[in-house]
Amino acid sequence: MLALSGVGRTYTEGAPVIALRDVTLVIDQGEYVAVTGPSGSGKSTLLNILGLLDLPSAGTYRVAGVETGALGDRVRVALRGQLFGFVFQAFHLLPGRSAAENVELGMLYGPWSPSERRARAHAALNRMGLGKRTGADPRRLSGGERQRVAIARAIAGGPRVLFCDEPTGNLDSENTENVLDLLAGLNAEGLTVVIVSHDAEVAGRARRQLVVRDGTVTET
Amino acid sequence: MYLRDLGIAKPRLRIRDWAREAVLSVLRYPGRSLMTAVGTVLGAAAFVATLGISSTMSWQVSDSFDTRRATEVRIVPDGPAAGTGWFAERNLMRLRGLNGVAAAGRRIVLPELPISRGIDDRPTRSKVIGADPGALAVMAPQLVIGRLPDAYHEEHHSRVILLARSIAEQLRIFQVGMAVFVDGRPFTVIGIYDDVQRRPEALLSAIVPATVGDQLLPPDQEADRDVIVGTLPGAAQLIADQAPLSLRPEAPSQLRAIAPPDPRTLRREVEGSVARSSLILSVIALAVGAASIANAATASVSARTPEIGLRRAIGGRRIHIFAQLLGETTALGVLGGTVGVLLGTVVTAVVSMINRWTPVLDLRTALVAVGITSAVGLVAGLWPALKATRIQPVAALQR
Repeated sequence: MLALSGVGRTYTEGAPVIALRDVTLVIDQGEYVAVTGPSGSGKSTLLNILGLLDLPSAGTYRVAGVETGALGDRVRVALRGQLFGFVFQAFHLLPGRSAAENVELGMLYGPWSPSERRARAHAALNRMGLGKRTGADPRRLSGGERQRVAIARAIAGGPRVLFCDEPTGNLDSENTENVLDLLAGLNAEGLTVVIVSHDAEVAGRARRQLVVRDGTVTET
Repeated sequence: MYLRDLGIAKPRLRIRDWAREAVLSVLRYPGRSLMTAVGTVLGAAAFVATLGISSTMSWQVSDSFDTRRATEVRIVPDGPAAGTGWFAERNLMRLRGLNGVAAAGRRIVLPELPISRGIDDRPTRSKVIGADPGALAVMAPQLVIGRLPDAYHEEHHSRVILLARSIAEQLRIFQVGMAVFVDGRPFTVIGIYDDVQRRPEALLSAIVPATVGDQLLPPDQEADRDVIVGTLPGAAQLIADQAPLSLRPEAPSQLRAIAPPDPRTLRREVEGSVARSSLILSVIALAVGAASIANAATASVSARTPEIGLRRAIGGRRIHIFAQLLGETTALGVLGGTVGVLLGTVVTAVVSMINRWTPVLDLRTALVAVGITSAVGLVAGLWPALKATRIQPVAALQR
């Protein structure tokens, strides 16, 4: 599904900084992969490249067999928007819009009609156990509920891969457990899950663990 | 090619979704949006109010300076030195001979005098105007019943009287031929009128022949004397210049002619000055509005970096971000314009109400105002929108 070959990333703004070095990695459909490592090791850079949010400086990256290096912005955006879902540590829910509207926002640029988006949003929120909070403003939701809304937003469009960047970083232990259970459940249904976390316990729930250290990726 | 192979649709933003996103973003913080749009509110309000008031005043000018009012000249003594000799009939004959004079006559406006139906009845007090047939022709009372006094009554000092309808009703007089007592002297009612074409003060007065008016003047009191002239259209200014010389050739400066201002000039002046003020005020306010929106939108782009990054991450293209930001500033322009139009309309209505004018509002002015503020919002959004397109989706992950 996702294949990195000799990928490197060097930031050239100011003094050059090598964030990733010669990463070769394959993630198959349905895998549950955790990426761990100390701060500044390059794990977020790896997630950005895997999620087509950033371009590698070297090497090739194939998504579903398609070499992404030569793709134009429109195709990259389409791949990112319809094949991938994203969950962020800070949730990034828009205040003033209901939970359902926030979930619908995740499908705004896709092929779905407004009624389809609405139906999918409600189904995703039901899946996250928030069927009765669809009209709630995110500001009135707990941290755990907000992250579940964010997960609903990420999965409502039916992505093949879910990228999670420190999804439990702002949650207490009970909500962390709930979110991890939900992610495990989604993976069990065939969704590829790639989770970045510095928390060993969170990483321990994944079936495959990658460690990034000084820009180099190793498997444990 | 790849999208089709992967079963992926092209990313798109429907117009309906674009409009909804813009409106939702503006309504998310309505107070802040209104504050941001305050410049356009003021611009639109200034535009609508000044043009509305201008139109109302123009209407008022044209309404007030109708043909009757614009063809009336009044000559009054300019100080006590004028005496009463200029009031003589021979002088009036000379005045009537001027080219452009339709009618002219003398009046003596007496202080309020008691008028009663019977000698012992409780009197009502009213102004009494002594007017000769020429003055009556200028005033042109609209008779409900009866007739006007004529030259015979004037020459023979006939004690006949015309009553304004309001006074006749107070005296319970509804037909001619009845007697009334003015300051204790009997008069025969020969007519009742309910309107005049000139000199509206007559609507609350009684009218007697001018020669009789002289007799009614109490010996220790002064009366206002004037000559009123009805001119042909366009001749008022000319007659005003010539009338003092006609009435008092030996000392024309002792008389003063009062003529209405030229309505066309006045109207042009009113429209011109108000239109200039309107333009200047509106341009300043709209410039402030544009700067305000641009400033707020630029600031909001920085504040909304995570949101914009998120939109990019979930499939929004640069053009979508650009369109959304433009949509938001345009919506702010529409909001500001709409509120401004309402405000301007209220201001116009209040100013008109205070001045007892009939407000004149043109729907096209409101539409133009909203159109202009929308364009201001659109232009003001160009730079912030361009700035927003430079935000990388990675920004969503970094904050």
